[in-house]
Amino acid sequence: MYMIETKNLTKSYADFTAVAGISLHIPKGAVYGFLGPNGAGKSTTMKMFLGLTAPTGGSFRIGGKQFPRDRMRILKETGSFIEAPAFYGNLTGEENLDIVRRILGLPKSAVSEALELVGLSAHRHRPARTYSLGMKQRLGLASALIGRPPILILDEPTNGLDPVGIHEIRTLIRSLPERFGCTVLVSSHLLSEIELMADRIGILNHGHLLFEGTLDELKFNAASQGFPTDNLEETFLALIESDNLQRGGAR
Amino acid sequence: MSFYLECKKMKRTGLVPAFFCGGLLAAAVPVLNMAFRSEMYLGLDAPPIQILMEANWQMMSMLNILLVTAGACLMYHTEYADNAIQRICTLPAKESRLFLGKSAFLFLMCAVILAVEAAGMAFCIFHWFGHFGGLWSVFKSFGYAFLLMLPAVFGSLWIASACRNLWVSLGISVVCIFTATLLPVKNFALSLFFFAMPFQILADTPPQAARRFMIAAVAELLVIAAGELIFLKLRRSFT
Repeated sequence: MYMIETKNLTKSYADFTAVAGISLHIPKGAVYGFLGPNGAGKSTTMKMFLGLTAPTGGSFRIGGKQFPRDRMRILKETGSFIEAPAFYGNLTGEENLDIVRRILGLPKSAVSEALELVGLSAHRHRPARTYSLGMKQRLGLASALIGRPPILILDEPTNGLDPVGIHEIRTLIRSLPERFGCTVLVSSHLLSEIELMADRIGILNHGHLLFEGTLDELKFNAASQGFPTDNLEETFLALIESDNLQRGGAR
Repeated sequence: MSFYLECKKMKRTGLVPAFFCGGLLAAAVPVLNMAFRSEMYLGLDAPPIQILMEANWQMMSMLNILLVTAGACLMYHTEYADNAIQRICTLPAKESRLFLGKSAFLFLMCAVILAVEAAGMAFCIFHWFGHFGGLWSVFKSFGYAFLLMLPAVFGSLWIASACRNLWVSLGISVVCIFTATLLPVKNFALSLFFFAMPFQILADTPPQAARRFMIAAVAELLVIAAGELIFLKLRRSFT
């Protein structure tokens, strides 16, 4: 069963197509790495999943629910973190999470649990505007994880974290399917980052889905097309380069 | 629920004390006016509330609208500054409820400042006019002022919700306020502009016209609320 499934999902603006008819298949309980260079359409796709922007074509289902008909039910079951941490700077970390908790109708203990999960308990009473970038990132993650949602959509969640923080968050994301039965869609522009977390990956470039499958399948495909496979970063770059050349040298 | 969350979100913004101080400042206008030049008003042949409102309401309502506008801009600024609104929009909560929650909070703040101003006005009536039966007229005047202020609250919030930048929404609202001050208050059609309505005074308006203003205020509330709902839907489609 696919937890997230899209059919020819498209988002076009007046003279620009951000996402061009992609069909994703994200299995239940998987960590799905969504890869692509900046501007590939990863964030736009994730925003469509959350109803932040309306698709101009195609359709998608999340947790068996159809968008836009079941938008509210989808949002109730989806924790998200898009582009950058979003919070009320005048409120403390705890107060920020309490607002999310109340909207989701969760018990009070959910706040402490989420803060504990991202290692922010010691700073729970500080206003969020005084947090460092890494702490804001953790607060954003706590907000996504609160209530242990069955689906998590995380857009570049390790941005701004130090190496120790990156390792911690990566380990946390990796453990989520096993601990809470979550399905995680996580985006990054770094293959090295994704290969340590994901079971399956999807590679996006200029709004087109270039590849979807496991890392082993990626290696196999790349080898059959004559791309280097010793280093996954090089495989990814070669795949993107080749696609750019096919599109007339666009970068 | 939305109202409670909006109250919570205003923590450490200074909005509540600002409203309270603004109310006190506006309430001080008739008191100071009477303290320094009561001889100008005590000889006039009109009910005390009418004399006081005609002498002070322009200044008081200007302060009120500026407070409402600043409040509306600040409320949406807390949503936009650190992108909190994006997180709220990814939760099972409608953006329209956010607007209505903020409206409810500002309605309450308006009621508070008008109550403080009404107290100031009642003090003037008791102290300088020695009129102890004027409470009901004060209550009626400020009830009317409250109703006519509500479209300005909705309008300010609409502008604030449409602009991510605090200074843009504040600028637009201030231009609207100054435009409203240029409109003649006796002209019914021009006074329907939602920033001009709060300048109306019940005491010098014929009952028929007052009724029309109240109906217009309710109609404007409905139109602005519907406009906001349509705007939110369109914005999602075009972003």
